[in-house]
Amino acid sequence: MTQMVAEAVRQASVNFMDTVAMLLPRILITASIVAVGWIIAWALKWAVRWILIWLRFNQGCDRIGVGAVLKTADLPPADHLVSVIVFWLVWVGFLLSGVDVLGFTALEGMVRSFAQFVPRLIVAIVIVVLGFVVANFAWRATLIAAVNARVPSPRVVSGAVRALVLILAGAMALDQIALARTIVLTAFAIAFGAVMLGLAIAFGVGGGGIARRILDHWFPEHPRAPEAEEFRHL
Amino acid sequence: MADESLLSDDLLRQLMATGHVDILVGLPTLNNAATVVDVVRSAQRGIAKYFPRARALIFNADSGSDDGTPALVRDATTDDTGTVSASRPLRTTNRITTPYHGLPGKGSAMRMIFAVADLLSADAVVTLDPNVTSVTPDWIPALAGPVRDGHADLVAPRYPRTAADGPLVTQLVRPLVRAAYGWTLSEPLMGEFGCSRAFATHCLELPALGSGGSDGVDLWMAAEALAKGFRPGQAALGPRLLGPSQRRLALPDVFQQVMDAVCACLELHDSYWLPRGAAAPVPCFGTLNGAAEPGARPDVTAMAGAFARDVAALHPVLETILTEQTLAGVTAAAATPAPLVYDDDLWAHTVFEFLLAYHRAVMTREHVTQTLLPLYLGRTAAFLMQHAKSDPATVDAAFESLCLAFERAKPSAAALWKKT
Repeated sequence: MTQMVAEAVRQASVNFMDTVAMLLPRILITASIVAVGWIIAWALKWAVRWILIWLRFNQGCDRIGVGAVLKTADLPPADHLVSVIVFWLVWVGFLLSGVDVLGFTALEGMVRSFAQFVPRLIVAIVIVVLGFVVANFAWRATLIAAVNARVPSPRVVSGAVRALVLILAGAMALDQIALARTIVLTAFAIAFGAVMLGLAIAFGVGGGGIARRILDHWFPEHPRAPEAEEFRHL
Repeated sequence: MADESLLSDDLLRQLMATGHVDILVGLPTLNNAATVVDVVRSAQRGIAKYFPRARALIFNADSGSDDGTPALVRDATTDDTGTVSASRPLRTTNRITTPYHGLPGKGSAMRMIFAVADLLSADAVVTLDPNVTSVTPDWIPALAGPVRDGHADLVAPRYPRTAADGPLVTQLVRPLVRAAYGWTLSEPLMGEFGCSRAFATHCLELPALGSGGSDGVDLWMAAEALAKGFRPGQAALGPRLLGPSQRRLALPDVFQQVMDAVCACLELHDSYWLPRGAAAPVPCFGTLNGAAEPGARPDVTAMAGAFARDVAALHPVLETILTEQTLAGVTAAAATPAPLVYDDDLWAHTVFEFLLAYHRAVMTREHVTQTLLPLYLGRTAAFLMQHAKSDPATVDAAFESLCLAFERAKPSAAALWKKT
């Protein structure tokens, strides 16, 4: 009996040692990949940061309105944010490659999924950035045009335009990374439809007089009188 | 040399039949039937009275009028007015009217007029605005005389101006051009002007003359003359009254054209104007006669109210254009209850900071210039409130004071411009 137990323990020890002997090099390789990946990611982070500083990336972001949004959201400056994103993408890539070396069947799918996810994430980030650019441009153009055209509440109008563009860009980005796709699309369709319907009802019922004035202005029944007596700026 | 593709074969035949001319009077027209006949008659009488021995041509470059303007120019005579003129020209004053090809607008018309002047070796070129109803025969010698006598290469007009007359010129373009280019030119947006053949030939190379814009073209020519060493002069003309126009651009469009021209000229000529010091006087030929018409006055109280609302609405945009100090000044001016006060120095700094924002392209350039429009209207309202009952001498002194404020603000703006 004692001999049988001793044999079982010895066999277990041998198996354990075999497993350790088989796994240890893989663990070391994984650790090396993760460590080297961290160094490469860190180096890339600083290289990207310096390149962005050299390219005056922050000034560009300020110009298109991204800088102001980041400041409002209490996020770091744009160059820092981009370099951190690069760091994490690269390091997580190395991390998953390292885990893949371990040969755990359960983790193999994760690596493949991450490899497929990264391009979609990059496209989603580009969509968000472009959304900010377009939203900010549209906001400013609408605000200035509304002020110069004497449209009432120009900030409300321009703010609504910016919000619409940002919501559209956000929905597109979420759709791109396939995050709760059905919920996002349904919520967006309902919200957008509700806003449009609300505006149509408000304009048609509540603002009938305004609508008439606007239509009269754009499509006058009789040509406007000569502007001979108008104040001349030149 | 003139680009011969500008001139059709038929036009060339007419020009060759005309031969060399001493004076060319150019008329760029577009649906000016209501006013053009009087302008042509005034030009003819001016030539007959003051230059009876000169070979002269009245050349009409028409932009495709559909109201019979070219026919009216061709058929206008001094005799059908029923008056007998004491002065008769010793030579025939030729008249040619022709449509031009290319982008519609004053720039293309001016290009054709200058090409004709170059081809016919005109000693002096006078360009008149066909929509002005106050042109008199005296304007011809006033604009052509200094050129023919060799005193100037470009003769810009001077008009008597009231506080409410042409504020875009008096409040913005005049002081800015004067401070930047360093010349006391009163009317950089020359509605009419005289120039030498050398200057006309030089202008043929100007890219702006190929464009379709209208309100900025004259400024291009004035700025080019100042920056390229052509001798400027000014002719004292009477009041400038405009006739009814069938198609007039809205203020935002006019403002955009003018500001685009100002900013583009300043960018192009920065090596000239940045080191320029205090403004040198531009010689003025003749004395200003006739009082300016008071004209229509805007509702300044409504303008002041709109200014307060506009500044509040545009605050986030203004933050990216103006310095903290100037923005605080503008905000305080807008928030202060009547009467609105927007002083000269604050306005000068505002304009130069917008100019720097345009130069640095802190946002789309059209947005920069369109954001200045509400501030310009606020400044105009403040000036009109302040000088509602001022006599002409006080108004002129206020114009001069504003120009000096721009001259004071220029050095710091020039230093920042160089750093960009």
